[in-house]
Amino acid sequence: MNFKKTKNRITVGLFIPCYINQLYPQVGKATLEVLERLNVNVVYPSGQTCCGQPMANSGYESESIGACHNFIKNFKDFDYIVTPSGSCAYHVKKHYDIIDQTDEVIKVRENVIELCDFIINILKIKNVGAKFPFKVGVHKSCHGLRGLRLGSCSEIVGPSFSVIDDLLKEVEGTEIMELTRKDECCGFGGTFSVVEEAVSVKMGKDRIQDHLDNGVEVITASDTSCLMHLEGLINRNNQPLRVLHIAEILNKSIK
Amino acid sequence: MNSREKILEKIKTNKPSLLELPKIDKDIFVDVNENQLSKFKKMIEAVGGNLLTLNSIDEIIPKLIELFPLAKNNYSHIIEASGFSTIDISEIKKPQELDDLDVLVLEGEIGIAENGAVWISEVNLIIRVLPIITTHLVLVLKESQIVATQHHAFEKIESSDFDYGIFISGPSKTADIEQSLVIGAQGALSLTILLI
Amino acid sequence: MSHSKAAEIFNKNENKVNWHDKALWFVRHKRDNAVHQVLEWEKLRTLGSGIKAHMLSNLDNYLIQFEENAQKNGIQVHWAADGDEHNRIVHQILKDGNAKKVVKSKSMLTEECHLNPFLEAHDIEIIDTDLGEYIVQLAKEIPSHIVLPAIHKSKEEVDELFQEHLGTKPCGGDPKYLTNAARKHLRKKFIEADAAITGVNFAIAETGGFVVCTNEGNADMGAHLAPIHIACMGVEKLIPKQEHLGVYLRLLARSATGQPITTYSSHFKRKREGTQMHIVIVDNGRSEQLSRPDFRASLHCIRCGACMNTCPIYRRSGGHSYNATIPGPIGSILSPGIDLKKHSSLPFASTLCGSCSDVCPVKIDIHTQLYKWRQIITKETPQPKLKKASMKIMGDVFANPKKFERIGKIARWSLRNLPKSVINSKPNIWGRSRDLPKGEKESFDDWYIKKNKDEQ
Repeated sequence: MNFKKTKNRITVGLFIPCYINQLYPQVGKATLEVLERLNVNVVYPSGQTCCGQPMANSGYESESIGACHNFIKNFKDFDYIVTPSGSCAYHVKKHYDIIDQTDEVIKVRENVIELCDFIINILKIKNVGAKFPFKVGVHKSCHGLRGLRLGSCSEIVGPSFSVIDDLLKEVEGTEIMELTRKDECCGFGGTFSVVEEAVSVKMGKDRIQDHLDNGVEVITASDTSCLMHLEGLINRNNQPLRVLHIAEILNKSIK
Repeated sequence: MNSREKILEKIKTNKPSLLELPKIDKDIFVDVNENQLSKFKKMIEAVGGNLLTLNSIDEIIPKLIELFPLAKNNYSHIIEASGFSTIDISEIKKPQELDDLDVLVLEGEIGIAENGAVWISEVNLIIRVLPIITTHLVLVLKESQIVATQHHAFEKIESSDFDYGIFISGPSKTADIEQSLVIGAQGALSLTILLI
Repeated sequence: MSHSKAAEIFNKNENKVNWHDKALWFVRHKRDNAVHQVLEWEKLRTLGSGIKAHMLSNLDNYLIQFEENAQKNGIQVHWAADGDEHNRIVHQILKDGNAKKVVKSKSMLTEECHLNPFLEAHDIEIIDTDLGEYIVQLAKEIPSHIVLPAIHKSKEEVDELFQEHLGTKPCGGDPKYLTNAARKHLRKKFIEADAAITGVNFAIAETGGFVVCTNEGNADMGAHLAPIHIACMGVEKLIPKQEHLGVYLRLLARSATGQPITTYSSHFKRKREGTQMHIVIVDNGRSEQLSRPDFRASLHCIRCGACMNTCPIYRRSGGHSYNATIPGPIGSILSPGIDLKKHSSLPFASTLCGSCSDVCPVKIDIHTQLYKWRQIITKETPQPKLKKASMKIMGDVFANPKKFERIGKIARWSLRNLPKSVINSKPNIWGRSRDLPKGEKESFDDWYIKKNKDEQ
């Protein structure tokens, strides 16, 4: 599929979360490549670090202020700040009220947007030209789901929708498998994964079993934090599942 | 300062500035295409009750005898069912004396389609403990007394001044033992609606 | 004991965790079925939240109005600043009435005040008549759930308990047989009771009346037989008008158990002739919570327990692991307000998934409040030096791109080169049950810089 246009290319700033940058760079690569293939002009400001979540969620908001300022500095000039992480986008939107609300800060908080949300709602594209003939289970990461409302959740009475499902439905050969508990938390929760290790592990195991029970071959999500936790369990227990970020699936292009 | 003063003073100091009281528009909660009578019947079953339809109140005594052939201690204040009563309520000095009541037949005032609840106020209860202490409860209701939702029921009783009233939906129940539903906890073991 | 320690112990028995988790998930599932049948359910929640928020902003006036109307109706109204005063007031009423045998229906407030041990120490028999509460009372435990107090007990455990205390025959945990045994035993208690204590689900300022909701009929059985009825309520149980009950009665049972309404919704306005009716209004920290803008909305709570049923952590750790009268998500935002140090682990017993906030019928922003309590706890209670230090270091590293790059490189190198035995050694809690990711040679940054150089 050829999306190349000469006029009207959208320019975005790409934010790569700290642990993707260091531990899962392939997710960052896939995100960049998908966006470029969709004719987006992607700018990756150097000097990125972290959105500040790890400290803030642990109760140390004040220690995250340096990270917040660094984020604002890097992204204040962009109309869209795209990130392959629902939790980072949510954190900036919801919790950046701890720094002075200058025009720049307000603009950045409004303009940060999760990857799938950006593709569906800004680019208005559903079919990105990908092929991935596998049975896929979607883990509905909580911050993206109930935080950013990237999809309907089972608790709320209302119409069904999901930006990640919309994209996956158009991927050639992909079969989305239905889970028994459609949007239960995976149990990562940042430092929760260590502070409440027993429950965190049990929650992760239960999620994985749900996918296995329903014939899933590949687990995907819009948050690598969830996937890191699930993959850690899958690898330790030698379970027959692959784990890929949604960007990696969308990047499996039809050649 | 006594506790009352202390508490009120603290609340006055700590409360936020006055927020608006939202208005309730009960019409948005009603599906105009829904048949409330059928819904009521369905909900009675769903909450563990039985519903039977009578053509007129005159059918009541034969129906009660059919439903409860072995009942010994019965009471109803409904005139047409007085022949079914075996207890003279004016003789009852203490409510505890009603411990062995088998069947109680009361007149319901409002029925609610959304949850199968029936409203009875004190004037139709005679003695408050009656519907609780009886083994079997029968409520007589007219079809015309059925409303769609709880909001509509409160609209109906808005201007009535009752000392006590109760909404009863189905027989008493509990699921406190491993979530297994058991019909018949402390209150009545069964509830029958006689719809006219 | 912190929640995490208690949860670790609970998780040693995986079968029990699975059983407890499934039981509560089933209740959440019933709730979903029930609410999906209500047209405009979300608007109903908004009303539930808005009415309570308004009520709290005018609470003192509504309390005065309520008291005035209740007194006009012949009800005696008492005020208790804290749990101790509440207990003394209740005891005095019982003493004055020569009441020695008391039956009580479900009241989390009386749990909060520790009423039972107080009365028992004064030689008053007090029987909890809600079946779940009765089971827990016989077992000498506290409830593990505010609506399903004995959810942590298997039917076999109840069978043994009843054999011991009620003389029932072994029945393989047959719920019908056991419930019937309780019915017979408790009926006697009701008949003999000198006084009945109930909770209050909703108190109506406009009328001076109050509503008590049960499925079993135990509140009514108690109140309509005994010559003294004492109703205990927290100040936040108030609602302005009778018509508002339409909203709350439609929200409560559906959220709690998935029923459209509880079997009995009893409206008390005036007492029976020849009897006494008392209301005890209790503060016990609520006026203090009212002063906290971030946490005030927790006072909307109508005690439905939906947040507990949906919480993946509650389901897998059990109510007792919270070590608080009210456990689970709502308990974790109420309890720190009462004793910050004792309950400092509770707001961290959460992944902030937000499910609780979305099932809450009165739209309490529970997950946001959990986050906010964390900020307060790290500042106002003693924190482990290591945690404080590592957070400071992290903050510093993440503020500085060059430092971040350097640390990242070291982390990746370690993951790539250190033997698994070192990586997954004791201090690495993550490594107990999970592998860590491989350490890639290049970070995304490295790759991007290289890519740009190549493309030039």
